[in-house]
Amino acid sequence: MAKPLIVVDGASKSFGEVRALEHVDLTIHEGEVIGLVGSNGAGKTTLLRLLAGVYVPTVGRVQLADGRAIHSARQTIGVVPENTGLYSRLTAWENIRYHSRIHGIGDEEAWKRTLYFSKFLGMQDVLHRHTKGFSRGMRQKTALLRALAHAPRVLLLDEPTAGLDVTSARTVRDLVRQLGNDGGTVIYSTHQLSEAQRVCDRIIIIHNGEVRADGTPARLLESTETTHLEDAYISLTNDAAREHEPSDKPLGRWAKWWRSVFTPRAPIEVDESE
Amino acid sequence: MKVSKRRNRVGAIAKKELVEFVRDWRTIVAILVIPLLMFPVLFILFPLLLESEAAELQSMEVDIVVQADDLPDVLYHAFNGSSLGITYEPMPQLVNLSSPDEDGDRLRNGVVDAVVRMRMNGTIVDYALLYFSTSEQSLEARSRTFEVLAAWEDNETVRRITDAGLDADETLDPLRWNGSFDEADVATKGEQAGMALSLFIPLVLAVWTFSSAIQPSIDMTAGERERGTLEALLALPCTRMELLMGKWLAVATITGAGVLLQIAGLLFAIGYLATSDFISVPELGVGALALLLLAVMLFAIMVVAFELALAMRSHSVKEAGSILGPAVLLILFPALFTQVINLDGIEAYWFSIPVVNVLLALRELLMNRVVFSHVVVWASTSTLYALAAAYYAARQFKREDIVTSLS
Repeated sequence: MAKPLIVVDGASKSFGEVRALEHVDLTIHEGEVIGLVGSNGAGKTTLLRLLAGVYVPTVGRVQLADGRAIHSARQTIGVVPENTGLYSRLTAWENIRYHSRIHGIGDEEAWKRTLYFSKFLGMQDVLHRHTKGFSRGMRQKTALLRALAHAPRVLLLDEPTAGLDVTSARTVRDLVRQLGNDGGTVIYSTHQLSEAQRVCDRIIIIHNGEVRADGTPARLLESTETTHLEDAYISLTNDAAREHEPSDKPLGRWAKWWRSVFTPRAPIEVDESE
Repeated sequence: MKVSKRRNRVGAIAKKELVEFVRDWRTIVAILVIPLLMFPVLFILFPLLLESEAAELQSMEVDIVVQADDLPDVLYHAFNGSSLGITYEPMPQLVNLSSPDEDGDRLRNGVVDAVVRMRMNGTIVDYALLYFSTSEQSLEARSRTFEVLAAWEDNETVRRITDAGLDADETLDPLRWNGSFDEADVATKGEQAGMALSLFIPLVLAVWTFSSAIQPSIDMTAGERERGTLEALLALPCTRMELLMGKWLAVATITGAGVLLQIAGLLFAIGYLATSDFISVPELGVGALALLLLAVMLFAIMVVAFELALAMRSHSVKEAGSILGPAVLLILFPALFTQVINLDGIEAYWFSIPVVNVLLALRELLMNRVVFSHVVVWASTSTLYALAAAYYAARQFKREDIVTSLS
């Protein structure tokens, strides 16, 4: 049995009146590749931000297995946010170096690791180019290189293949699988169940801020008495998905009224009885 | 070890911000090149423009109408000898000479540029000069006509005094300065320079410090938030305070460079425009100079922290711009009021008012006046305000919602 690494203990996260995550209990073990699967606004990003120490849970705890708070372990975590977060006026290498310097890693060490992984991702020729003109795939790969440069023990990836072409998506998936095979821990959020099935050892299904299922693909099928993961997902998430993005701060009363003044109404009233 | 790591992280953040700033030529132009060139362009090109306009006016042909029935001969010859194009007309029947009547239309339509009406009233000449004040040509005609009339009046005054058996020079100039004007002022050239510079350097410094910090403050906070680069940064092993310090250092460096270049440009323009007699180097003691730097530093800490805080509160660049743009008035108004406050016998409480305190301190110190009680008040209150602004900024940077942007 692998050693536990991170413990999420009854963690809930609220933004004002909106409850983004409710009572999540998880234990993440070393060497696991975990897929967080859920629809838009399910709470995947909020959970990843809690694991990265960017958010503090409203209730409960997110900590290392040895009891230390998660934010004290940021040194060992690599994060790839959904929008990559690259600086367009810096080159790919400068983006990577900036983060590795804040991690306290020497430029030489970071460069060696960057070169190693850039060969895997086919990025070695563009490391000194400004990221402004980069495609979505190149940006995603640069963000991955940046997250790996300080040799993290845990990698948090927020929808790393969203919007990528087939080849780039496969390269990213292959890298994640490779990291898992090498004993790394990866937590990977995605909309795509099939992708999670291919890459991950363990799948966590999140819906409307709740963890609906957690286990290996085989366990999920068994517990839902289905033969396909898609059917399992549907049976676990059959209530309507919420529409809002929970981390958005709701508008105040005056702001809401002011916006409504300048919002046109429908040009024709439709009589629903017809 | 921990301190050195912290310093390295703050340094890395500041360095990255500066590299990004330097690579954007538009912001370099707006924040560094424009302040450097603003005053030289204003002080050197503006007089040249005025000179060329004056020359153009001088070469202009202007036509006036002189309406009179019995003009004195000397004046008649003076008009004919001037650069004015003259047409003589008989004096119309008028009670009030300045009433335009039909001549108003002629002036408005540009048929003539000015009309002079003159009527003998015993030994006095009554006159009026009609002109069109929104026409450059008419104003030039008025000015040249006045020159002719003034010269005639001077000669006529001297003639009449002499005819009365008096000495015209003694009669017209009974009080005369003896010696040199410059010698009479006991203030040294350096003190005079300090006084002159104290009238505008604090103003320039305050307004430019605030306005030049706006763009980088927004770019490094709301800009990062909007572009989505903040989330990855917040997941790094640096504290929010280190993030604030790194960004503060970068904005303060950019703003400091902009202000220094602007003052350099201003001094260059003054030096170029005037002879060395016009303005000298202000005489500043070491104490005054050190306090001057302290005042500027405390002001910069306060202003930059305040702007970073306001920008970080905003969800987007647009929102931050609409808050920080008008906020420049918070500096501009106190800066303007401070220019007219009399420093002689000033009450100490003035040195405790935010913004005003630093501006007054700069004025005093540029005049090499180090008043202990004033220094204590402005230094302590400025430190307090700088700490309050830094605390406010730290609170904004610690907000959890800064990871999200308004969409």
